[in-house]
Amino acid sequence: MSKPSDLTYDAVVIGAGHNGLAAATTLARQGKSVCVIESRDGIGGMARNAAIAPGVVAPKMAHLLYNLNPKTLKELGITAPKSVSLPTVSLADDGRHVVIQGDLVIYADGSAHPEAATFAALHKRLTKFAALLGQMSLKTPPSLAGGLMDMATLQELAGLAKLGIGLKRMGKKDMREFLRILLSNAYDLILDDFADAPLAGMLAADAVRGAYAGPRSPGTVFSMMYRLGNGGDVRLPMGGMGAVADAFANAAKLAGCDIRTGCGVAQVIVENDTARGVILADGSVINARSVLSSIGAFQTMQMAGVQHYDTEAVRRLRNLRNKGTVAKVNLVLSGAPDFVGLDAKLTAGRLLIATSATYVERAFNPVKYGDMSNAPVIEAVIPSLSDPSLCSDGQHILSANVQYVPYALAGGWTPAARQKLLELTLDRLEVYAPGLGRLVTHSEVLTPLDIETQTGAPGGHWHHAEMGIDQILTLRPVNGMARYGFGIAGYYLCGASAHPGGDVMGTAGRNAARQLLKDGVLA
Amino acid sequence: MSAKIKAAAVPMGLIETPFYPRLAALSRAKSWIGWAGYISPLVLDTVEFEYFAIRNQATLFDISPMHKYRITGPDALAVVNRLITRDIRKVRDGRVGYAMWCDEDGMLIDDGTVFRFSQTDFRLCCQEPMYGWLMDVAWGFDVVVEDESDSIAALSLQGPTSYSVLKDAGLDVAEMKPFDWREVEPDLWISRTGFTGDLGYEIWVPRDHALAIWDRLWAAGADWGLRAIGGQALNMVRIEAGYIAAGVDFQPVHAVMRLHRGRTPMELGFDRTVAFDKGHFNGRRALLAQQDAGQRFALVKIDIGGFKPADGALIYHRKRTEVGHVTSGIWSPTAKRNIALAELKAPFGISVTTDLWADVYVHEEGVWRHKMVAVVIETKPFFANTRARATPPRAF
Ligand SMILES: Cc1cc2nc3c(=O)[nH]c(=O)nc-3n(C[C@H](O)[C@H](O)[C@H](O)COP(=O)(O)OP(=O)(O)OC[C@H]3O[C@@H](n4cnc5c(N)ncnc54)[C@H](O)[C@@H]3O)c2cc1C
Repeated sequence: MSKPSDLTYDAVVIGAGHNGLAAATTLARQGKSVCVIESRDGIGGMARNAAIAPGVVAPKMAHLLYNLNPKTLKELGITAPKSVSLPTVSLADDGRHVVIQGDLVIYADGSAHPEAATFAALHKRLTKFAALLGQMSLKTPPSLAGGLMDMATLQELAGLAKLGIGLKRMGKKDMREFLRILLSNAYDLILDDFADAPLAGMLAADAVRGAYAGPRSPGTVFSMMYRLGNGGDVRLPMGGMGAVADAFANAAKLAGCDIRTGCGVAQVIVENDTARGVILADGSVINARSVLSSIGAFQTMQMAGVQHYDTEAVRRLRNLRNKGTVAKVNLVLSGAPDFVGLDAKLTAGRLLIATSATYVERAFNPVKYGDMSNAPVIEAVIPSLSDPSLCSDGQHILSANVQYVPYALAGGWTPAARQKLLELTLDRLEVYAPGLGRLVTHSEVLTPLDIETQTGAPGGHWHHAEMGIDQILTLRPVNGMARYGFGIAGYYLCGASAHPGGDVMGTAGRNAARQLLKDGVLA
Repeated sequence: MSAKIKAAAVPMGLIETPFYPRLAALSRAKSWIGWAGYISPLVLDTVEFEYFAIRNQATLFDISPMHKYRITGPDALAVVNRLITRDIRKVRDGRVGYAMWCDEDGMLIDDGTVFRFSQTDFRLCCQEPMYGWLMDVAWGFDVVVEDESDSIAALSLQGPTSYSVLKDAGLDVAEMKPFDWREVEPDLWISRTGFTGDLGYEIWVPRDHALAIWDRLWAAGADWGLRAIGGQALNMVRIEAGYIAAGVDFQPVHAVMRLHRGRTPMELGFDRTVAFDKGHFNGRRALLAQQDAGQRFALVKIDIGGFKPADGALIYHRKRTEVGHVTSGIWSPTAKRNIALAELKAPFGISVTTDLWADVYVHEEGVWRHKMVAVVIETKPFFANTRARATPPRAF
C-alpha cells in the first residue's frame, strides 16, 4: 500500500536497519504516517542475514543479542524470534577452557574454577551498577541548557536525581566504588581480582567489543557495564540476526509504515530551517513533516548540507571518532567442527579467543599503526548447531567477529591482505579445533571498509561512532546534539550513533522517535 | 659556565609595522603599545593635538596591525554569509559592510568590515586573529582563505580635510560614497570607511608600497593640517561616534574563559545587522531563541551629568540597585558633554530607561570622592556632521 508521492508523510526515516525500523514503528503506533527508505534491496542493515553459499544462511554481520530490551520489544509490538541463551567458552591454550554462564564459572571439563566466587561477586557488583546505567539508556540524555528556572530542565534533573537516588540506595561503599571505577580502565579492574588467564581475557574482550580501544584504554569499565545493562545474558536468535531485523520490519508494517527498499536517500529537503522531506537517488521526492536518519551522524549532516550547521557542530562531527576495528569472517563448513575439550553443547556456545587481558591489549596495539592483529581476539559462534534450519546437507556456518582489524589498512585492503586476515583467523581457530580449515568450503571476509561500503556505517564502526567517554550520554554523538534533534527543526538522528549507541537493541530509534513527539514536531 | 642567549630564529618582542620608520621619526611622546603583536603608537605628540586634528584637519593612523583575510572562490559569498549575521548579498561589489559574527550560542566572536570585490572575492578586516575560525567556517565549501595581515599595509586617513589631502595627492575619490571601495590606482585600494564617524578613508596597499604612499600623502597634507596620530585620540572619537571596541565594550567570546561573558549582537544594540531571513548563519538558531526569550543585556549610549570622565563607573537604578557599568567613557571636547557607552542588565536600558545614576569616582591629588550623577540614555551618536556623508565631499 504505497502512497502516491504527492502526499506528505508525517515522517520519513532514512535507513531500514533495526533502529530506523524502531523509530518508524514508534511513530506509526502513535498514528503517524511513516515511510522508511532503505538504499539496499533488503532491510536489516548490520543485523541482516545473507545467503552466503547454496543452502547456507548466515548472520551477515551481527550475530548475538546482548542488549535487546524486552520493554522496548513490547512497546513496539515486536514478536521477537525465539532465542537461546548461550554459554560463553573462553578458550585456553592449555585446553582448560573456561565456561561462563551468567554469574557461574566452571572449567569445560566440569571441574570447579578457583575464581568462581570472585567472578560471581564482580558480576553482581557490575550488573547492579549496569542496571543504573541501563535506566539511562531508555532516556534522552539531560540538557541543562535552560538553567534551573526552566520547567523542562527541572523535569530532566528529576530524572537525573533518580539516578542519584539509585546511587545513594546502593549504599556508601558501593557508590564510592561505582564512581571510582566508572571512568577507569577494564584491565586494572580485572587484574585487581583475577589471574591474567582466559577468564580475565573474556572480561577484557567483552569490555572492548566493537571498540577502538584496548582494555587499558580509559572508559572501558563503562563499556563493560553498558553491555551488562540487561543482565549480561548472551542470546542466539533462531533464524539468525536477520530474523530479529525481520521482526522489527514486521512490527513496522503492522503499525502501518511503508518500507521502500532499493533506492537510498540522496538529500534531505530543508526549507526555512525545517526538514521537509527527502530526495532519493533516482531523483524522486518524498514530502514529509519530519525526517529521521539512522545513518552515521556526520553523514546525516551531509545529507542535509553542511551549510545548515553551525561551524562548531561541523567541527565536532568531522572529528567524531569512528574507526571500525571489527571484521566479520563467515566460514561455511562441510560438517560440524571438533573443538578439543568441548562437548556438543559448549561447541554451540559463544567461543572466545581472548586467552588473557594482556592478549586483548596486545591485539589492540597493531591497529593503532594500521596493521591487523597477528593474534586477534575472536568471538565465534556456530549458529547452525543450535538452529539447523540455517544450513542444508549437514553444512554448518561459523560466524566470527575478528578484532582488531583496521579500517584503513597500511597498504590497502588488497586481495592478499584479505587472504592474510582469513588465514590469521583460521590459524587461531585451528589451535582449538584442529582440522577446521579442511572443513571450510566457502568463506567471506568483511573488513571494516567492506562493512562501510555495504551498510554506509562510517568507518564500518559497530556503533557508527566510538563509545568512548567523550562520545556517550550527553556527548553522543557530539556535544550539543545529544537529544536526537539534529540542528534543523524536524530532523532527528535515530541510529547507533545516537544515545545509547549500537548493538541490536533498537533503543536509539525508539528514543529518537519519542523525543520527536515530545518536542511537538508533529503536533 | 655561562649560558649565552643566541639570537633566535623567531624575532622577539613587538614587530615593526611597514610604517614604523615614519612613525618613529614623528614620535615625541615615545608612547607605544603592542597591538596584535605589532608596535603601535598610543600617542605621538599630545592626545589633545591629535584629537583636535581628527575633528578639524586630517590625520593618519596606521591600521596595519588589523587582521586581514582574503576569502576567494566560487563559494566565497556563501562562506561570508555563513560567517556573519548580516546579509552580504545586499552589499554590492565595490562596497564595504560593517559586520558581526557569532559562535553557535549567538555570542559575538568579533566585529569588523567586509570588503566586497565580487561575489567570489572578499576581504575581512577585524581586530581578533580569525584564520583558524575562518578555516572551520569554510570547511566543505569551495573557497581559499588567505591571511593577508602581514602582506597588506593600511592607513586610516580621517578628518574633514581628508578628501582634500587625497585630491592633492592625485587620488580622485570625489564620487566615492560612504562605504564605497575602489582600486584608485593599480594596487592601491581606497575605501571611504573609518572609525571616527567623520569624513575619512582607508588606504590599502601591498606591504612594500607602504612608505611611498605615506610620503605621498604626507607631502600633499602639508597645506591641510595633516598629522599622524596614535590610538588614544582615536579611542575618543570612536566613542563620540558610538562605535564599540572589542575587548572593551564586549568581550570576544573566543577570548573569554568564564561562562556567560559573551554578548549577542542584539545585546550590543545591533539588531539591524542580524538578517534572520537570509538562511542559516552561525548562531542563527541561538539568536532566534534569544529573540523569543529576550536579551539579557543592553549596551547603550549615555550622557552623564558633570564633566568627570566616568570610565568603569557602576550604574544604579534609583541610586540603589546596581544595574550595570560604563564600558567606555570620556569627556567629549566636541560635544562638550560627559559621554559613555554602558552595559545594563535587562530590563534596564530596554523597558526601564529612567532614574539611572552613575557612581562616579574622582581622584584629586590623593583624595577620592564619589558622587551619584544622573544618567540619560541617548539613541543618536554623540558626534554627527553632514560633512561625513556629503558626496562629493567638501574641501573641509
Ligand atoms: C562486524 C559486526 C558485528 C556485529 N555484531 C554484533 C552482535 O553480535 N550483536 C550486536 O548486538 N551488535 C553487533 N554489531 C553492532 C550492530 O550490528 C549495530 O550496532 C546495529 O545493527 C546498528 O543498527 P542501526 O539500525 O543503527 O544501523 P544499521 O544497521 O547500520 O542500519 C543503517 C541502514 O541505513 C541504510 N542506509 C545507509 N545509507 C542510506 C541512504 N543514503 N539512504 C537510505 N538508507 C541508507 C543502510 O543500508 C542500513 O540498512 C556488530 C557490528 C559489526 C560491524
